[in-house]
Amino acid sequence: MAKDLAVAPVERVPPIRPDYLLVADSVPALIGVIAADGAVESCNRAVLEYFGATLEEIKGWTTSKLVHPDDIPAEIARQKHALETGERMLSEHRLRRADGVYRWFQIHGEPLRNSEGEIVQWYMLQTDIDDLKRAESQLAGEKRLLEMVALGRPLHEILDSLCAFVEQAAPECQCAVFLIDPAEQKFDKGFAPSLGDAYTGPLRGVPVVPGSAPCGAAAIHKTQVIAFDIESDPRWLGSPYQSHALAFGLRAVWSTPIVSRSGEVLGTFAVYQRHPGSPTQIQQDLIAQFTYIASIAIERAKSDNAIRRSEAFLAEAQRLSSTGSFYWRRTTDEIICSDETYRIFGIEPGTPVTVKLITSRIHPDDLQRFSARVEARRTDGSRAEAEYRLLLPDGSIKFVHLVSQTTATESGEMEYTGVIQDVTEARVAAETLGKLRSELAHVARVTTLGALTASIAHEVNQPLSGIVTNASTCLRMLAADPPNVEGARETARRTIRDGERASEVIARLRALFTKKTTASGSIDLNEATREVVALSMSELQSQRVALRLELANDLPPVIGDRVQLQQVILNLLLNASDAMSTVEDRPRELVIATTVEAADVHLSVRDTGIGFDAGDPDRLFDAFYTTKSSGMGIGLSVSRSIMERHGGRLLATPNRGPGATFSFSIPREAQDVLGAPGLTDRHQRIMVG
Amino acid sequence: MTAAALVSIVDDDESVRESLPDLLKEFGFAVQSFASAEEFLASGRMEETRCLVLDIAMPGMSGPDLQRELMRRNQPIPIVFITANEDSSECARVLLAGAVSCLIKPFSETALLRAITKAIQTG
Repeated sequence: MAKDLAVAPVERVPPIRPDYLLVADSVPALIGVIAADGAVESCNRAVLEYFGATLEEIKGWTTSKLVHPDDIPAEIARQKHALETGERMLSEHRLRRADGVYRWFQIHGEPLRNSEGEIVQWYMLQTDIDDLKRAESQLAGEKRLLEMVALGRPLHEILDSLCAFVEQAAPECQCAVFLIDPAEQKFDKGFAPSLGDAYTGPLRGVPVVPGSAPCGAAAIHKTQVIAFDIESDPRWLGSPYQSHALAFGLRAVWSTPIVSRSGEVLGTFAVYQRHPGSPTQIQQDLIAQFTYIASIAIERAKSDNAIRRSEAFLAEAQRLSSTGSFYWRRTTDEIICSDETYRIFGIEPGTPVTVKLITSRIHPDDLQRFSARVEARRTDGSRAEAEYRLLLPDGSIKFVHLVSQTTATESGEMEYTGVIQDVTEARVAAETLGKLRSELAHVARVTTLGALTASIAHEVNQPLSGIVTNASTCLRMLAADPPNVEGARETARRTIRDGERASEVIARLRALFTKKTTASGSIDLNEATREVVALSMSELQSQRVALRLELANDLPPVIGDRVQLQQVILNLLLNASDAMSTVEDRPRELVIATTVEAADVHLSVRDTGIGFDAGDPDRLFDAFYTTKSSGMGIGLSVSRSIMERHGGRLLATPNRGPGATFSFSIPREAQDVLGAPGLTDRHQRIMVG
Repeated sequence: MTAAALVSIVDDDESVRESLPDLLKEFGFAVQSFASAEEFLASGRMEETRCLVLDIAMPGMSGPDLQRELMRRNQPIPIVFITANEDSSECARVLLAGAVSCLIKPFSETALLRAITKAIQTG
């Protein structure tokens, strides 16, 4: 076998002994021998086979194309240097294979010296490093692209570079990357630096369907689509795409879907060739690797966009809700703030924020409380909520609500994340609302007073009349002869009694109609009801309303503002009376009842009036809704808001018969187990009764 | 000496029924008080009543109701209305219906005496 291999081309190589040659021929590496002056002397069989050339042709390498023409000058210079200095040769150049393809080789030349140390020959070993070279270059390209991704370079820059790189690695090809709009299922922007916008532009907006283009088919079927020759490929014959590609001189189109990790098709990677064909294995490897890198770049760009969008959304939400966020690592004093936090504190954006800077913005009155809290926050770690006032450099005051939460980092450090909300507007609005509400309640009371004028006059005139009559009688009895002292004394007593009665009426009026701020106390709703009834009795009488009181015995007290609750009762009572003013065919009956229902005290006012449309019990409470042409709709609305502020509810229900029932529930006074005399009394009664 | 003229008082307010009779007795009238119109109608003292002092607003049958009832029964007793209500339209209505006078509480003894005297003369 070895003898068979040792064949011809070794005509004249005296220094090499045949057994060495035998060995050299059996080695798959390329081995050559050159003389001390650089002339090729011989080579092994592998060399001849690789080049597909004769030794004579090889000897003329400096003028043939066996070595890549671009590499020849450098190679000559290197050999010259080595021959002069005797230094070992080490270089890389491209050698043309028999099929015409240049491959990279590493040349390794060792000098052979005689006993005097003179160089007599050089042994040259040529190692094929083409695959290695390509892998290196591909790796460098990938590295550069991934760096761009990592640095957050714009997507168009990355994809343009990607195409350029693939085109460099596969010089006979041109490339394009097309993005897909997932919502519209249409091709979005395309990137093809060598083909230009003129090529990608018209493809934008083309639907992602198999018939539109090879890229459409690749995206839909999620698999690579090879169009060997677009000119004759039946799948796109006569399509707008076909003529578009041909107009750019493209014949072969190889489309590969770019798929995200979750399996979504993000776009396609198209490789073109100006002559028909299929991708080689090397090209396929390139396509596979760079399609993958494109997917990383596109996914990254998408998530960057999503983050940017959500950041913008968050910033907008913070601005709209006047809520800022901040982050404080306890060991340092620096606080990281959102834009809105800067705005709330009136700090120039970008300024480093420290605890000290924040402290300088706290209102002096709140400073001590704030500082104590901050110090505590350095050591304790829980959720905290507090409200502070800020005093900004421009002199304005803000109310802020602060919530913070502690978390421990992996290294065990404490971090605070918090939000701060500017509640100034809400505070001011609440105060204004409170004032308005009290004004409105007063107006409503005065309006009610107007409606009650006649009734009140009646209530006052009645005892006044008694006083005048009794005083007249008294004078007459005293003036008689003999004076009727006993009768006079009796009439004088009645005068006093009527006077007291008048002053009681005035006192009740004053209590009910004086503008007072809210005063909470314990109230007996029965008693409050009786007082209201006493004031409106004559009004009811003149309206020929028969009133019945069904007040529960032992009604537990409620907590609230006596005047306001009486105003509600009065409102309900006058409403009921008004609702019956046109009723002629049935008795005008009014029943006021109090009951206890679980934790609530309940008061209802039932009339036999015209009632209301069952469809609009809620509208009844709208400020200006009224079923009466001359009505005071505002009364019900105010009544409802009074009840709500007492933690109660105001309800309107149509009666089964004629009329309606308006009622309210209000929580009974909290029963403090310790020292609640009412409770003990009731218990005793229950036990006795 | 002729018997004192009988003045009947109808008022639901107890203090009126207490005070007014004493004053009218001082004037020399005989007085009878009733708490409601119905009570007066049932008393059988309508014939001898020379003047009726009548409250306008009362539960059940009101003063004007009684005025109409007496007309219907053809018993035109002269009526002096008294009311604690300042609504003058009510007064006008009863005067148009034939009442002698309408006094608004509180009224002076002079006004009352003048009204009752006029009523008795009318009758």
